[in-house]
Amino acid sequence: MDVQALRSQIERIDTLPTIPSVLRKLLLIIENPKVSLNEIGSFISNDLVLTSRVLKVVNSPIYGFPGRVSSISQALILLGLNVVRGMLLGVSVFEAMQKTMLGLWEHSLGCAVTARIIAKRKDLKEPEEVSVAALLHDIGKVVLGLKFPDEYKKIMSDAETKENFIFDAEKNHFNINHADAGAWIAQRWNFPRSLVEIIEYHHKPHLSKNVPVQTAIVHLSDILVRAKGFGFAGDNFVPAINSSAWQSLDLSETDVKEILKEMEDSLSQAEDFLLSDE
Amino acid sequence: MSNTKTVVVVAKDMVLTSIIDRILKDSYRVVDFSNIQSSLDYIYNSTSDMLIIDIGVGTDDLTIRILNEIKGDPIFGQLPVFAIFDDNFVIPEWNCLLVDDYLRRSYLEMELLTKVSLCINRAERMVDVNPLTRLPGNIAIIKQLQKRLDSGEVFALAYADLDYFKPFNDKFGFSRGDEVLKMLGRLILNTVKGRQPHGSFVGHVGGDDFVFMMDLEHIEETAVEIIDNFKRIIPIFYDAEDRANGYIESVDREGNKKRFPLISISIGIAHNKAKIFSHYGEMAEVASEMKTHAKCSGGSCVRIDKRQYTVAG
Repeated sequence: MDVQALRSQIERIDTLPTIPSVLRKLLLIIENPKVSLNEIGSFISNDLVLTSRVLKVVNSPIYGFPGRVSSISQALILLGLNVVRGMLLGVSVFEAMQKTMLGLWEHSLGCAVTARIIAKRKDLKEPEEVSVAALLHDIGKVVLGLKFPDEYKKIMSDAETKENFIFDAEKNHFNINHADAGAWIAQRWNFPRSLVEIIEYHHKPHLSKNVPVQTAIVHLSDILVRAKGFGFAGDNFVPAINSSAWQSLDLSETDVKEILKEMEDSLSQAEDFLLSDE
Repeated sequence: MSNTKTVVVVAKDMVLTSIIDRILKDSYRVVDFSNIQSSLDYIYNSTSDMLIIDIGVGTDDLTIRILNEIKGDPIFGQLPVFAIFDDNFVIPEWNCLLVDDYLRRSYLEMELLTKVSLCINRAERMVDVNPLTRLPGNIAIIKQLQKRLDSGEVFALAYADLDYFKPFNDKFGFSRGDEVLKMLGRLILNTVKGRQPHGSFVGHVGGDDFVFMMDLEHIEETAVEIIDNFKRIIPIFYDAEDRANGYIESVDREGNKKRFPLISISIGIAHNKAKIFSHYGEMAEVASEMKTHAKCSGGSCVRIDKRQYTVAG
């Protein structure tokens, strides 16, 4: 399939299904009449499918300010409780998703947690936006796995048997990788330009023009979470950290040590969120 | 003032006119004309609530043209037009015949009364929304305010507008300014409805002027929450550089280049607990006065009327 045809196939995706464990918790939240917007918000911020759904709606032209909102708390203020509840009711489950890439949810959540830690350490004004970008950075994998389940299974096993990086295996098969696919869908859904850029360049942070620091943070988070062995992102390798990312982040040895220490606690909390049944 | 709605009927056929009159006369004031030309003077000079027009194979082009001109006029386009077609009439493209609803002759007895009432009802619902935010506009706001004053219930009225909105518009253009207004409408609506889901009201007067009405005990905290939410969201409407600076460069009213802070919001609140208002204008004036006080303090701010009024008489 040529790239244009592939792109239009992917752009036709309307919503992403989530995994069963998230849906179970979601239903509990929706059925609780006393739940506040803040509680719903912190729940949504833990799941890449729900987050992408909320951002898609709030950035749609209907509300009149497309491409502006990249944080969940802002989105919820603008959508309102009723719209958010209604939207969450329509979430579907895709059992196969969990099977296709067991561990991707943990990986994404781990990256979101880590990116927030680094963003705060770097004194960024909007750590939540970086955290959202980290949560969504691998959305291309969900999209490819959903649209081409059989091919993607083959790519996964290729990555395993030939000991390839997942993005190389994707490239061999589709001529594009998940970063491209993710950027396409993010653009299609009117996500803010900065968010699209981070998704597109999380493996090549030196190419980011408008948000180099944020992209470098997501890039580094991706690698640190892999190094910790938290979740699974399609292959078992820990790629090298891009040198320009190091430069733009300018982290000292103490910084890195403390980031790693903070990650320990936060990741075990994240694990509780995904694995617990309540 | 009588609340009976006026329906203008234009029909050549006397039999049709008498059927319509009989069906509607208990619920509406019906005014008959035998052709559209003679009805124009009435339509242009009095407030009618609906125009019913008989259209069939014999209807001339002039009638259709006049009808389309009425519907094309921004003021009279609001008037709902209801067509009655002969049973064998072939319906043309709707953009050549500007009507809001229709009925075939043989259904008159069964449907006319309910259809007319639905059509008027729908027109009233849609007549006064601000096209930008889809919030109720001026007429609906005044109606709501007067209704509350007449009922004698204690409530509060807040008046909100933006500071430094003009330099923002000058720098970024009105289309980005409109985005801010749409965001603000949504933000106020959700914050108000979040605090008081029932019995609250949000309207858009126009431009950057918004009002909301709520129970007195909720309104101050709601206004503070609106300001907090606004502060969290407004930066995304600026470019990264301005966000980092915390100000923009634009020109003032005299045309001089100047630095302006990011947009903030001022809210003034009036209530009828200590002072009785009989006319909506008086209460709006107090809210507006409070808003002016809020503006003087610089940055986003709320001011509520705390004066003790001595009850006259």
